Amino acid sequence: MSVAYSKVTEWRRGSPTVVSGALLDVADVRVRYGGVEAVGGASLRIVEPQVVGLIGPNGAGKSSLLAAIGGQAPIAAGTVTLGEHDVTKLPAHKRARLGIVRTFQTASVFDRLTVFENLLVAGVGYPGAALGRAVTGGARAKAAADAARADAVRVLDELDLRSMSDNYGSELSGGQRRLVEIARCLMCAPKLLLLDEPMVGVAPHLVRRIGETCLRIRESGVAIIIVEHALEVIEAFCDRVVVMAASEVIDDGKYDDVMRNGSVRDAYLA
Amino acid sequence: MSYYLSTVAIYFGVDLLAAWGLNMQFGWAGVPNFAFIIFQAVGAYVTAVLTLGPDTGANSYQHYVLGMQLPFPLPLLAAAAAGGVLSLVIGIIAMARLRRDYQAAVFLLIALIATQVVSGDVGLFNGSNGLAGVPQPLAGPLSSLSLGQYQWAYAGFVAVVCVVTLMFLRRLGRSGWQRALRASRDDEAAAGALGLNVAALRLQVFVLGGAIAGLSGGLLVGFITAWSPGGWGYAETFAILTGIILGGVANNWGIFLGTFLVQIVFVEVPSFLPEFGYPGLIDKLEWILIGFMWLTVLLLRPRGIIPERRYKSGIDAAPRGQGNVSRV
Repeated sequence: MSVAYSKVTEWRRGSPTVVSGALLDVADVRVRYGGVEAVGGASLRIVEPQVVGLIGPNGAGKSSLLAAIGGQAPIAAGTVTLGEHDVTKLPAHKRARLGIVRTFQTASVFDRLTVFENLLVAGVGYPGAALGRAVTGGARAKAAADAARADAVRVLDELDLRSMSDNYGSELSGGQRRLVEIARCLMCAPKLLLLDEPMVGVAPHLVRRIGETCLRIRESGVAIIIVEHALEVIEAFCDRVVVMAASEVIDDGKYDDVMRNGSVRDAYLA
Repeated sequence: MSYYLSTVAIYFGVDLLAAWGLNMQFGWAGVPNFAFIIFQAVGAYVTAVLTLGPDTGANSYQHYVLGMQLPFPLPLLAAAAAGGVLSLVIGIIAMARLRRDYQAAVFLLIALIATQVVSGDVGLFNGSNGLAGVPQPLAGPLSSLSLGQYQWAYAGFVAVVCVVTLMFLRRLGRSGWQRALRASRDDEAAAGALGLNVAALRLQVFVLGGAIAGLSGGLLVGFITAWSPGGWGYAETFAILTGIILGGVANNWGIFLGTFLVQIVFVEVPSFLPEFGYPGLIDKLEWILIGFMWLTVLLLRPRGIIPERRYKSGIDAAPRGQGNVSRV
């Protein structure tokens, strides 16, 4: 297990989580934008830390399903449960505090914060994030700030980002922005990490690095859902594949099984 | 000349306070508060009605609500509180469910509505004629001073308020709370997805900025002793904003410089120019210069003369060969 991830996780949760029942249970979720149904009754269950690849053609509803899980899109019907928490009606920030953290299709690094600040701001329990603490300060706040800095340094080292810690987000390349996004998520001590096309526009050597990072994160007890179009990435780094087409989940299984039964071909050629 | 300089110093202090307040909202949190001037206005009105004494009724030349005569510094504190409370009410309405671009339009409309309401309702703050004869807050204890000496004493008091405010802002500026605000400014959705309650953060900074605006209004009316809707048109917000953008968004000293340039150099220097062009052209030069500066700064130096300070992590760089991700 990676030292950085385990430390961050312990800080947030007190001790590593023992999974009982489903880690994530998405039951018959529907997402509508006006009259358009982007997700039409999707179900997805993750019972153990694993990397789940979510694939399908454009418009299949993958990003909308991710948004429904993350709290960025309102759920018209169905439920989303994280561990023992029904998060269906919770806003995004409360879901994040429970452990559902995500990246976006367009890399969403805070451009006018440095890389180090990008990580600090994501640290759960970072002192001063509350106005009262910002005004009063105090020894406890300083100790917690020091702890957050230490965690940020560990995560930077883990993802080999230390050399750019003082760079602004706007000064990073596309691949570096993706790595910073993932590093930032790790500061939140996630239980479920949602990555929306993290490999888009990323150089091949960084694709491998992001993929290997995902595997290490999984080993620290975190489940990951990756929306991805590149099947070679799915094959290399995902334990399981969920196929969506026309707003519905049409297949769910291991990569070889999904490829063998033709659902991917049906999805893309339908 | 001394009288003129002390007047300019007081105006500068008041404008600087307002600019720092607006910077908290706009520079730190990205809230496009185009109604900012109304929070300064409410501070001025509240100070006025809490120092003027009771409205004497039909025979009075001006009519207003409350009408009390509270001792210094209570009216000033009430001005800050009024700015904060009005910010809370308007912030809840304008920022709850709207995207930032729509918020800007709503704030602009609120500023226009506020001017109309205060101008039209004579019983509130004496309508478009405004309030006059507001007592000077330090006139009692400093009654032995000459007018010129009093002005410098008041300028000193305004300077003390500015220094205390700056210390408060610097404390907040080093906090995780301010960093969370800047993150929500850069990407609201991403900040929420990391666990930051963006709506609450913005409302907090909106109230604090509004309180500082109210305080600046209270100080201003204590100096000029009169206040009317003609003095707080929506365009005044843009003058304050120009100082922020010119000097450097989210940088207290940049805003000090920008406010000096806009409120002192651009406003005062044209008045020393010899008359030229059509009548009134020199007065209009102020706004022509402000508009020109907006465009120039946004095109050539969008982060201002003194940009937002870069945070230094203070951690050692990685050993050679480790941590150097090639740029792709």
